[in-house]
Amino acid sequence: MLKHIKQGIVIIKTAWLRNLNYRFTIIMYRVGEITELLVLILMWTAIYSGGAGVIKGFTLNEMVTYVLIGNLCSLAVRNFLPAYVSRDIVEGRLSMFLVRPIPYIKYIFFNELGRSFLVTLMSLLTQVMVILFFLDKFIFNGNIVYILLIIAMIFLAFVIELLIGFLIGAIAFWTDETEALQLTIDRIKRFFSGGYFPLSLLPVTLATAGIYLPFAYSFYFPAQLYLKKISVHDGLIGLGVQVIWIIILAGILHMVWKKGLKKYEASGS
Amino acid sequence: MSIIEVKGLSKRFEFHRKQAGLLGTIKSLFYRKKSYKDAVDNISFNIEEGEIVGFLGPNGAGKTTTLKMLSGILYPSAGQVSVLGYNPQKRQKDFKKKFGIVMGQKDQLARLITPMDNFVLFKAFSEISDEDFKSIMDELSKLLGIEDVLDVQVKKLSLGQRMKCELVASLLHSPKVLFLDEPTIGLDVVAQKNVRDFIKKYNHLKKTTIMLTSHYMDDIKELCDRVIIINFGKIIYDGKLSHLISTYATDKIIRITSIEPIQQEDLERFGVVEDYQGIRASIRVPRELVKKTASEIISSDLMIDDILIDEMPIDDIIRVIFQETNREDK
Repeated sequence: MLKHIKQGIVIIKTAWLRNLNYRFTIIMYRVGEITELLVLILMWTAIYSGGAGVIKGFTLNEMVTYVLIGNLCSLAVRNFLPAYVSRDIVEGRLSMFLVRPIPYIKYIFFNELGRSFLVTLMSLLTQVMVILFFLDKFIFNGNIVYILLIIAMIFLAFVIELLIGFLIGAIAFWTDETEALQLTIDRIKRFFSGGYFPLSLLPVTLATAGIYLPFAYSFYFPAQLYLKKISVHDGLIGLGVQVIWIIILAGILHMVWKKGLKKYEASGS
Repeated sequence: MSIIEVKGLSKRFEFHRKQAGLLGTIKSLFYRKKSYKDAVDNISFNIEEGEIVGFLGPNGAGKTTTLKMLSGILYPSAGQVSVLGYNPQKRQKDFKKKFGIVMGQKDQLARLITPMDNFVLFKAFSEISDEDFKSIMDELSKLLGIEDVLDVQVKKLSLGQRMKCELVASLLHSPKVLFLDEPTIGLDVVAQKNVRDFIKKYNHLKKTTIMLTSHYMDDIKELCDRVIIINFGKIIYDGKLSHLISTYATDKIIRITSIEPIQQEDLERFGVVEDYQGIRASIRVPRELVKKTASEIISSDLMIDDILIDEMPIDDIIRVIFQETNREDK
């Protein structure tokens, strides 16, 4: 165990060293995030100014808080694995890991943990700035039970996103063209995560489907928990759904990766 | 028991042929004919501890494919491989801690961080202790003369410096067996010599078994007593380098540069003119006559500015062997 942690710490540190080189990129990403956030808040403000005080149970302040908290959560769980993994496969860098005494999956997991920690920290700062700007509309929830539940949910969502990202990246074993697929899946994920609007605004069947898919747990669920629109009990059930998804995805990944490696070896990248 | 044992090793790749043009592309969407290429075809050899073996052959001969099978990157289609008593395709952790591989055309160092940061990462991968790491780093950086580039971003290094760092990355865990795939590719003459000298010294110090591929005859002459030559996936020569040269490299190349253009006919009396560009020319001369011919050229009335004596290029030697073996077959 200690050995794994030691290895993990070095990999995370190296990820920081590497990513601190992308200072301009890191800043520009934040500009994009803030813009998107402002657009969403402006949009909802415009919709509510039409006279509707409450839309499907959401007041304007609740909607703004939903957007702010949800965005923060989705940024914390986001990863760039599809691009990394597919590039390593297509360019043959994976070979360099097959000869090292550490599994590729372990390396990439810690590397992403390190990278996203840094990015999340940056996002957190910018998000807090935006929240401060909209302080008059922001609803506070300092309930420790809810907060702990949200943190647990975000951690599991992070793991789920890693597994999904890895799976999408692994498609590169079979085709060099993964970019369009990545973008399409990203859009579908964003929709089902409640990133465009709360899932409860959807027709019941779609909303229910959203709850059993793994994506809602990186935006909709934690944001609703924060607003106390979902009970602690339902939140705990949500954690259960996440654990089941992790088991399923890990199983699929194990199979796909094994098959992919066979294919990789056959083509001799 | 030999350190490396290879018996009947083969690798067959599957690929698709596609007719040229739009129509061909559309056809290939519905029907693709499978073709096979035997990149490595039933090769066998043994390598003993401490040997440096040169693994030669033209592009696409199967050198890299063989090294990849020896290091466990590729599964063989047939045959047995044993390296240090391990079966590489099982990819055991213990095995991976005992060999190293450098691929001249594929860098393993991350470009945005310094070589030292990279080494620390590899140290963690291989679980090397702090004391071992320090003493190995001291030794290797001194031997290679890279102490002053260890804290410079990898992307700012010259190709030669980077290759030296690549070597370090593969030697941190003191491997017993080292595979080097084109370690001097693209380097200038000085850098090539540095890398070559290092490999020689390292082998001498550590008795590491080394298998290296190269395109440069100089690398092979400096480093290897024994060479294995592979062409179209088959071994066509396995034996002493000295025997190879005395049997097949019977000629040497005299390269001359003159002040004024010389007529090709004026050169033909010295030997076979291989390459002629006015003021520059290469003449192939039998090995035993090379000194005499060279002094004749210098003392002739030709306006010679520079004269150089070279070994035949590897590809030419391979061509000679290939022609001879084909002749024997017929």
